[in-house]
Amino acid sequence: MILNALALGMAYALVALGFVLALNASGAVNFAHGGLVVLGGAAAVLADTWTGLPGPLLLPLVAVMLGAAGMIVARVAILPLLQRPPEATFVATIALAAIIEQSLMLTMGSAPRTAPSLAGSGALEIAGVAVGRQPLAIVLVSALLVAAVWFVLERTQVGRRMRAVAADRAMARAVGIPVARYVLLSLALAGALAGVAGQLLGHQFLIVPTGGSGHMLRAYIAVALGGWGSVPGAVLGALGIGLFETFGAAWLSDAWAEAALYIAVLVVLSMRPQGLFGEPAGRRA
Amino acid sequence: MKLRWYWFALLLLPPLLAPALPPFGQRLVILVGVYGLLGIGYQLVFGQLGALNLAQGALFGVGAYAAALAAPTFGPYAFVVAMLAAVVVAAIAVVPILRLRSHYFALATFALAALVNLAALHLESLTGGANGLVGFAAALPRGLPLLAFVWICLNGAVLAQLKFLTPRRAEAAFLIREAPLVAATLGINANRWRFRAFVVGGAVAGLAGGVSAAVSGVVSPDATGFPIMLLCLSSVVLGGARHPVGAVLGAAIAVCLPEAFRQLDGAWLLAYAAATLAVVLWAPQGLAGLIDGPEPRPLPQMPVRLMPSTNGKRIVLRGVKKHFGGVEALAGVSMEVGRGEIVGLVGPNGSGKTTVLNVISGLEPADGGTIELDDRHIERLSAPVIAHAGISRTFQSPLPGEGRLSGVARAVGSGAAFLLFDEPLAGANAQERAELVMLLERLRVAGYGVLIVDHDMALLSKICDRLVSLDRGRVVG
Repeated sequence: MILNALALGMAYALVALGFVLALNASGAVNFAHGGLVVLGGAAAVLADTWTGLPGPLLLPLVAVMLGAAGMIVARVAILPLLQRPPEATFVATIALAAIIEQSLMLTMGSAPRTAPSLAGSGALEIAGVAVGRQPLAIVLVSALLVAAVWFVLERTQVGRRMRAVAADRAMARAVGIPVARYVLLSLALAGALAGVAGQLLGHQFLIVPTGGSGHMLRAYIAVALGGWGSVPGAVLGALGIGLFETFGAAWLSDAWAEAALYIAVLVVLSMRPQGLFGEPAGRRA
Repeated sequence: MKLRWYWFALLLLPPLLAPALPPFGQRLVILVGVYGLLGIGYQLVFGQLGALNLAQGALFGVGAYAAALAAPTFGPYAFVVAMLAAVVVAAIAVVPILRLRSHYFALATFALAALVNLAALHLESLTGGANGLVGFAAALPRGLPLLAFVWICLNGAVLAQLKFLTPRRAEAAFLIREAPLVAATLGINANRWRFRAFVVGGAVAGLAGGVSAAVSGVVSPDATGFPIMLLCLSSVVLGGARHPVGAVLGAAIAVCLPEAFRQLDGAWLLAYAAATLAVVLWAPQGLAGLIDGPEPRPLPQMPVRLMPSTNGKRIVLRGVKKHFGGVEALAGVSMEVGRGEIVGLVGPNGSGKTTVLNVISGLEPADGGTIELDDRHIERLSAPVIAHAGISRTFQSPLPGEGRLSGVARAVGSGAAFLLFDEPLAGANAQERAELVMLLERLRVAGYGVLIVDHDMALLSKICDRLVSLDRGRVVG
């Protein structure tokens, strides 16, 4: 059960990580991010039926497809609105999320689908404990990706520039960083992470066109709890939500666990608007 | 706000022509009224104040449930109960989250809406759970009386909004939306505005929810769901978030479009979302604004008679300290400004001039020392309170579409006796400089106290009574 909670949390962490990258790049909430997760699941299903490749090989394919989708989101709803108040991007991406949802509804119908598994079903026995193969694979893949993103952001020139764009767009432009290109890059990365998360989550949980707002909301909550714009905060927040959902649902009913999560969000926001580990000033957003 | 004549056709023709329509058409007209009301309530808080409230749909649902529960006892007065229920929920829920900004406010209201939705689903003894409530509609008006009721309410709401938004209030809302710091230093209490807009908007949403319950005869958890919120948000954006009939136009499109696309079932939602996106990108003023054509915002004008409307004789700073992390921006600044004098604040970049203004005007709390306005300690007061006490200010960068002196005009117009000007001349042309110099002379004669930050030493030494010179957070002369 701990492994399941961890797997769920790590998959959410990928979603939240992409969400926070897009947030930092554009200074605005990308409401369509949850739609990209669902789109990732759908892309995995499609790619599976077309190519019949095994799950692990589909993963990079889905990442590339959704990376492209992320760039489309940036081109359509983020870059044209950079100079406007963040509310404009918010509304534009809400519309985009509805477009993704309705397009999926029209093409694949409302029947839920299942994404191909990553490592087959069943369990391994490690040190006398039965360990599910899929959750283990999710944890490994996600941990690898989180580490890779951390490395890119902290240790490479590209990552430094992405962080510069996030910290102060006007200043980044002034020192000669092509801001639009880095916003595109951030959104491509965000889309790829969302796509991978979509495939990972899509095996254990079903893919339904209307699932996007749930993913978006969890990422949003993870980022708000973890501290606006903080990458480690978002990962920790997402892990917390995964644990909370798994154990909360076991102790309480599903409905109460969900209600408790929202109440926790309201309490945290009203007591500590900067998030649990967040930046002290709430001015940025 | 003014309304062009042709919009009265949109407001009056549907209810007047409705008696000639078949029952199905009348139902559509009622629904336009319902979503129009919902949207008008939303325009206040989202359109005027720019607060991304995502709980408007949930308040609509609260109204629907309240009307369904109250109908057997109260009959048609259940609509009043619906309004009151939404008002109570809105007023209680919004207080702890009022100070949250943009995305935090959006998330908090989203969580609130999700809680209402969960309550509708799971408090089965009250709400009937997933099945919802039925069998209450007989006690509520329907058909033409209901149609007349909802359209009278809608027209009343449109007119009330037109009356309420005087140029002065529209300007206050503009500042809260686009320049919250300017609003605060002019004494506009944004939290109070947001609270009232949220509650009034909630009341209208509750009424709309009640009427929708009467139309459909069923109330299910769908009434509190996110799709209603989405419909409300996109119809307001599509019609025009600040246009007096934007919500009505958006609602008319939202209700009629699915009929036009009936054979394509889900496709209308796609078309609607795409249209919303297009409007956000290319016509931010909405379709109604597009039809009316551009209308420039009136710029703030310098008051004809200069006459401070607040009291206070002297601002005195004693040992004021402020540090940002390890940087000591102000290391114990003591100075004073009296009425009828113009004090220049000079010093190199980074010497703390703007920080002095920020600390006096309450935008940043001082870490030490005291600031007094006569006998009153103001160093712990909030910016709007300080502005009301008689201290207003300007900022370095003018708002988009405004000249260098618009901010000065706004500060003077607030009636504050003390004015803090932050580099009002930076980048100004000769005419603007001459105007400002003349204004400063008049302000001195009229008995204002002025503290002015600028780099133009020649000009400052000419017009100022005293100069205070700062270096690295210290007064050096």
